[in-house]
Amino acid sequence: MSSALAGELRSILGDDGVLDRQLELHVYGKDSGITRGEPSVVAFPESTEDVVAVVKAAKRHGVSVVARGSGTGLAGGAVPLEPSLILALTRMNEIEVVDVENRSAWVGPGVINLDLSNHTYSDGLHFAPDPSSQSVCTIGGNIANNAGGLHCLSEGNTVNHVLALEVVTADGDVIELGGPAPDPIGLDLRAVMVGSEGTLGIVTRALIKLTPNPTAARTLLMSFRSVEDAAKTVSDVIAAGVIPAALEMMDRLMTVAVERFIDAGFPTDAEAVLLAEVSGHEAAVEAEAEIIRAIADDNNAIEARVASDAKERQRMWLGRKSAFGAIAQMNPDYYLHDTVVPRTKLVEMMRNIYEIAERHQITMLNVFHAGDGNLHPLMSFDASEEGVIERVKAAADELLAICVALGGSLSGEHGIGLEKRDSMGLVFNEYDLDAQARISEAFDPDGSMNPNKVLPSGSRCFDFGRPIPEGTWV
Amino acid sequence: MPFSTQFAPTSQEVGSCIECGLCLPACPTFRITGLETASPRGRLTAMSAVLAGQAIDETFTEMMDGCLQCMACETVCPAFVPFGRAMEGAKAEIAVARNSMSIRIRRLILGRFLAWRAVVRLATAAAAVLQRTRMSVLIPKALRSGFRSLRPLPIWSSSRVGRTSKPLGEGRSRGTVGLMVGCVMDPWFGQVNDVATRLLNMAGYVVVTSAEQSCCGALAAHDGSAQDARRLAHRNASAFGAVDMVAVTSAGCGAHMKQYEHWTEGGDIFAAKVRDITELVADAIDKGWLPTVDRIAGPIAIQDPCHLRHAQRVVDEPRMILQAAGHEPIEIDSTGTCCGAAGVYSVLQPELSGRLGVQKAEQVRAAGPRIVASANPGCEMQLRQHLGEGYQIAHPIEFYADAIGIMERGHS
Ligand SMILES: Cc1cc2nc3c(=O)[nH]c(=O)nc-3n(C[C@H](O)[C@H](O)[C@H](O)COP(=O)(O)OP(=O)(O)OC[C@H]3O[C@@H](n4cnc5c(N)ncnc54)[C@H](O)[C@@H]3O)c2cc1C
Ligand code: SF4
Ligand code: SF4
Repeated sequence: MSSALAGELRSILGDDGVLDRQLELHVYGKDSGITRGEPSVVAFPESTEDVVAVVKAAKRHGVSVVARGSGTGLAGGAVPLEPSLILALTRMNEIEVVDVENRSAWVGPGVINLDLSNHTYSDGLHFAPDPSSQSVCTIGGNIANNAGGLHCLSEGNTVNHVLALEVVTADGDVIELGGPAPDPIGLDLRAVMVGSEGTLGIVTRALIKLTPNPTAARTLLMSFRSVEDAAKTVSDVIAAGVIPAALEMMDRLMTVAVERFIDAGFPTDAEAVLLAEVSGHEAAVEAEAEIIRAIADDNNAIEARVASDAKERQRMWLGRKSAFGAIAQMNPDYYLHDTVVPRTKLVEMMRNIYEIAERHQITMLNVFHAGDGNLHPLMSFDASEEGVIERVKAAADELLAICVALGGSLSGEHGIGLEKRDSMGLVFNEYDLDAQARISEAFDPDGSMNPNKVLPSGSRCFDFGRPIPEGTWV
Repeated sequence: MPFSTQFAPTSQEVGSCIECGLCLPACPTFRITGLETASPRGRLTAMSAVLAGQAIDETFTEMMDGCLQCMACETVCPAFVPFGRAMEGAKAEIAVARNSMSIRIRRLILGRFLAWRAVVRLATAAAAVLQRTRMSVLIPKALRSGFRSLRPLPIWSSSRVGRTSKPLGEGRSRGTVGLMVGCVMDPWFGQVNDVATRLLNMAGYVVVTSAEQSCCGALAAHDGSAQDARRLAHRNASAFGAVDMVAVTSAGCGAHMKQYEHWTEGGDIFAAKVRDITELVADAIDKGWLPTVDRIAGPIAIQDPCHLRHAQRVVDEPRMILQAAGHEPIEIDSTGTCCGAAGVYSVLQPELSGRLGVQKAEQVRAAGPRIVASANPGCEMQLRQHLGEGYQIAHPIEFYADAIGIMERGHS
């Protein structure tokens, strides 16, 4: 079946636009998460027309379509669960037009996040969402996962930076959602598409909102004897009306790991370290940095200092951005959580995290976007050790449950994909899920776009009565 | 056939990859093709598939052969995956599993001929005659463009091996440096070796060019001729057993020799003595053993050979040397992307190599200066081929030697 499809795809995309040898398929079976699948063919479109043709061909052959950017997703979103076609969008990486005056740009979905910011830097603009994977991940993947980053505290997630989308639907129609105006007329389907993880359609072009580069910035490093003091500082800063561009917390295990990896200048004896950045106009950042420092002092900070120059500032942020790498070296395996709790519940959540880690005997490190309560507890382990996987899984489930009990959510920015799909019931009741499933059905009645992701099966209240059209893939 | 030799990538090496993908944008072959199968992560996934029992088939071979072994992925990898070692292992496996005629011929050239000085000199003499008679049509097509970007060759080159030269002027010796003259470096880029010797002598070192030394084995190792690579490593390690340090004038050789621990017993002790020539010269300038020029000379574009920047992490030294020579080093590429020369890659994968060469040439043109410093012979040739007329390319220490007045820059 799929070889006939591969042949058809070759006639559309040419020989070097299709991969279907076994080892090649194996390589495309995974993203940065922990689940593996096996696609039946991989296609590399170079234009919207290519995407339309490929989607239609897949439909004719009853094969589902899984979009893929750089494959850095952490929740298995780009993992093909069934015999599927992987639509690899890396070659649609054109930055078409940058409209400096209106601070926007039309880009292809395969443009790499950081490439766009570098491209527009000299025009004084950048793409604000800055996930730690920004040197690799694509704009399409950012849109599909509504990615966030260090600066989403002040700038918001990707959804706040997308003006319009060109989408190829499951039927192969090309539709445009949103428009250059910040508030589009009609239903705001653009916002529905952002975060839909490839289940509603394929983003083939995006009109991105660009953000002016800050003219001045200050970074503060603050260290504390307790996580409580650090968390209190976070709440007090926000309560004081200062919204830092970024506000990040690391616990001691984490700073020790980072310092072992690179010399970022983090104190390794403090229980918690906060990094804050304020940006904007010179006078404002000076004043805001002072306010933050005073609040830290009030909360018993061991040290609270402003980076003295650009070099030190870069070193601090490099330390933060290397957290992931530092963990990569501790053990061969890791499991990264991405949960959100209300800021006021941070301390309680942290206490629970430490308790769970101890009970399951798992090394758990914490580095997270403290400003918006987006936690990334990271379990570091060696999967070859007997019984460890079970302990990790048990700990992960407990973490999620507690987070939800504290009024939190399943995912701050990494998406639901496969790995958190079955926990959706923890936050949504059957009617909530049904509403989502109806939207999904409206876009993709056959369930052929990235099937079995995001929504657990049975989300549709009346799932049993659903007719399965002839000839479609089941 | 799955992996079968002692050189095979180990599950520990391959398993240390956490599949984060942070290496993807650094990889030139991924950048150009957009293919996960042409990325470091994809190549490691393929290796682990073979470790799990999958056969070494044509797809696997193609995926590995596409790799430049430029080590850019190692520089950015947060998990410190020893990619270069694993790739050499994969190549060794391919050489055994797919023992085709072309692989056998390559192994003969890279593993044996390069180590025979007489053969290299004979080939050099023949090439020198062709250069003078402009008869490059007689050269096989795959090698022709490389041939055209050689420096003018000597018809008769007396090898530099087996010589000893003493510190110049007053002062006591700061130690003995063994100079690795290289297999093709010796006759083709002999001037760089001469300059290196002069500078090391000026800095107070005794320089010996042991007669026992041979080709470093890098090309053999990269191509999968693991047994030959071992033999050559062993030979060089004993040839330079008595010196304090080993200076290497070709970044590709130095990078490999710093990895001798994988190739010969006691190789780690040897490796600790290996220095790229730019490291030694920059150090000597820093300590005041070599002079700094006051005069301001023009800007020079700087090209970082992968095997210097990524494999040896030597980045500041060439710049410092140019500055000491009064030149302003001009950056051409902030991430140090491969120029596509990559040892024998330019011959085996001409298409990708050519695209990278064109890209590198564009970066140089955009940077401005028509003078380029490159610390590796392969890169120098690749640059010359893609930049065309009107550009002067030499090793950083040659520009320095020129500035302090100990040599004439006689070539372009
Ligand atoms: C080291 C590391 C750090 C990370 N840090 C962060 C972080 O700070 N913040 C954060 O939010 N995330 C982070 N992530 C997760 C990940 O990088 C983001 O989710 C990113 O947006 C994924 O982009 P991608 O191009 O790799 O997409 P992929 O992984 O290829 O795909 C992700 C999802 O998007 C869908 N998709 C991709 N392209 C399209 C398209 N054109 N149309 C429709 N659907 C599409 C896929 O089907 C899949 O469901 C990190 C990951 C890693 C490995
Ligand atoms: S950066 Fe290192 S750990 Fe990450 S995918 Fe590449 S090789 Fe693997
Ligand atoms: S060595 Fe170079 S070409 Fe090979 S995988 Fe690494 S970055 Fe890519």
